[in-house]
Amino acid sequence: MTVTTTATATTTGSALARYCAQRIFQPVPDVLIAGNPFLRPIGPLGEHDFSVPATEAEFLGSGQLLAGRVLCNAYESDMILLPPAGLASAKDDFDLFYGDEVRALRDRVRPGLERYAFSFLDDAVPAPPVRTLDELQAYFLAEVGGAGAPADASGSNPAVDAAAPVSGTMKAITECRHPEEAAALHLIQLALDALTEASAMARNLGGSYGVEQSELFKIFNDEFGYGVYGAKHSTIFKEMLASVGLRTDLHAYWNFYLTSSLVGVNYFNWLTEDHRGMFRYMAAVTYLEWLFAQGFADTGAMLRAVYGDRVDAKYCDEHAHIDVHHGRMTYENLLLGLARAHGELVIPELVRGIEDTKLLLRLGDADFRAQIAWADALDAHTEAGAALATAAMDDAVTGTLRPGSPFSTGVYDADRLVEVESGEVDVHAWATQNPHRLGTGDVLLVPRGRLHGLKAASPEARVTVRTVERTFDA
Amino acid sequence: MARVIVMDLSRHNTVMVGHDRYFVLDTGGRAELVRDHCPHRGGPLSLARRTPDGRRLSCPWHGTKVGVAAVRRSRLPMVRSGDEALVVLPDGADAPVSVTHREILANLPPDPTHHDEGAEHG
Ligand code: FES
Ligand SMILES: [Fe+2]
Ligand SMILES: [Fe+2]
Repeated sequence: MTVTTTATATTTGSALARYCAQRIFQPVPDVLIAGNPFLRPIGPLGEHDFSVPATEAEFLGSGQLLAGRVLCNAYESDMILLPPAGLASAKDDFDLFYGDEVRALRDRVRPGLERYAFSFLDDAVPAPPVRTLDELQAYFLAEVGGAGAPADASGSNPAVDAAAPVSGTMKAITECRHPEEAAALHLIQLALDALTEASAMARNLGGSYGVEQSELFKIFNDEFGYGVYGAKHSTIFKEMLASVGLRTDLHAYWNFYLTSSLVGVNYFNWLTEDHRGMFRYMAAVTYLEWLFAQGFADTGAMLRAVYGDRVDAKYCDEHAHIDVHHGRMTYENLLLGLARAHGELVIPELVRGIEDTKLLLRLGDADFRAQIAWADALDAHTEAGAALATAAMDDAVTGTLRPGSPFSTGVYDADRLVEVESGEVDVHAWATQNPHRLGTGDVLLVPRGRLHGLKAASPEARVTVRTVERTFDA
Repeated sequence: MARVIVMDLSRHNTVMVGHDRYFVLDTGGRAELVRDHCPHRGGPLSLARRTPDGRRLSCPWHGTKVGVAAVRRSRLPMVRSGDEALVVLPDGADAPVSVTHREILANLPPDPTHHDEGAEHG
C-alpha cells in the first residue's frame, strides 16, 4: 500500500499549524498530565517541512516526534476516551477534542503526515520474493525462527520457556544504575498502546469479510476479557502500573513517549483506519502475537527482577499464556486464511506487514536502548558536556525558563550542548521523582534523537543551546 | 429442596440457569444436559466440533480438545420418558431458569476440515 495525498504542502502546513495551536495541544507547565485524556501537547512545530517524507536515517528526528504526536491525537479522536474523575472534570476539552473544527483539521493534515511518517517503510527493506501460499508459509516460519521463536513439532508457535534467562533489552534494564526508572520507561512505552489495548483491532471488527472476521473477533474477545472489565487486558495492565506506583490515567506520561513508540503504535492505527492497510495489519498482528508469548514472559521476569514481589505482573502472565494461542490462531486463520481466500494478489501486502513490523521493532529497540543508556548516565554526559564546551558551534539559542513555563519534551536533530547560564534546571529524560539537576555553569550533552525536557528549578534560569560536531560515539 | 423442571426435548435443547448454560449433548446415543463452558476460558462447547475420533470436542475459541467424558461430568441429573425430560437443577439455584432451542454443532459428525491444533484438556 502506498500513501497518497491530495492536499498541497502549503494547505497541509497551515492546517497543521492551526491544529497544533488548539488549546488542548499546547504545552502546560506540568511534567505529568494527570486525569485528562484530551490534553496532548505537541510542542513547537518550528520550520518543519512535512511534505518531504522522513527517511530511515531521520527516524528519530524531531519531525517524526511531532508528526507522531499529531497522528496519535488524530487516530485516538475516533476512540472514546473519558477522564477517570468523570466527564465534568474535562467537559470543555472533550467538546474541543471531538469537535467539528479539530476533526476537520485532523482530516486535512492526516494523509500528508502519514506519507511523511511511513513512506520510509516502503524504501527501507526490499520486499522478499514471496508469491505463493507455500512460499508465504515457509517465509513466515523462517522469520519467526530467525526471531528466536521457531515453530514447535506441530508447526505452531512454541510454548513459553518461563525459565529462560533475561536477555537483550530486558537485561539492559536490570543492569541500569536506575533500574526502576528504566523499567518504568519501558512500561510507559507499553502504556501508549496497552491502556487502549486492541482499540486499533476493534476497527477491523465491522464489515463483512468472511471467516477471517470471526477469527479476529475471537482474539478481540480475549483482549476484552469476555466482557468482564476485570479481565480486560487494559485493566490488568493498569493493575501492573499501579503495583509499581505508576499512574494509570491515559497519557499521564505523554511527555515520555519515545519517537519510535509513537511511530510504532501509529502504524497499527494507520493500517486499521485506512482499510487498504488491512492485509498489512493482519500480517503484522500475526507476527507480533507469535512473538508476544515469550516476549511477555521475558518482560515479567525483568519486572520481577527489578521490582521484586511488589509488581503485579498478571498482565505479563496472561500474555505469556493467551498469546501462545493467538500466535497460532493469527497464523493459521488470519495470515494463511487471507492468503487462501484472496490468493497471490494479497501475499505481497501480507509480507510487507511483517517486514514493516520487523523494522519498527528493531528501530524501536535501538531508540529505547539509547534512551535508557543516556538517561541513566546524565552525570557522565554533564562531564562530557563540559569537556566539549569549547568545540561547540556558534549557533547559540538562549531562553529563559521559569517554574510555571510550559513544559514539553523534544529531541534535537544534532548533538547539542545545553548550558545553564544562570539559575538551576531539572532535566527530565525519563519519568522520575529525581530529575537530573544542572547548576549554573553546568553543560549537558544531549545526543541527537534523545528525548528530554527542561524545567526551571530556580525562580528563573537562563539556558543556552549550541550544536556540537559529532566526532565521538555517544 | 432441589428444584426440578420438565422440558420437551423435541422443542428445546438448552437450559439457562442464571448465567450458566446447559445444552443437550449426544454422548453415544444418550442425550445428556451438560454445561456449555470450556474449562479453558469458558468458550461455548455447544459450538465445538468433534475431533475425528468423535471422543472429544474442539473448542471454537482456542481449539482446546475437551474429552466428552470430562464434559459429561458437568451433566445435570435427568430422567426421560420419550421426549419429556425431568431435570434436577443444581443445588441452591434460585436463579431464573429458561429453556430455548439453539444451534448445537457438537452433535454433528466430526468436521472433515478439522485441523489438529490446540491443547489437550480432560
Ligand atoms: S475457551 Fe475453550 S479453548 Fe479457550
Ligand atoms: Fe492483549
Ligand atoms: Fe494477544
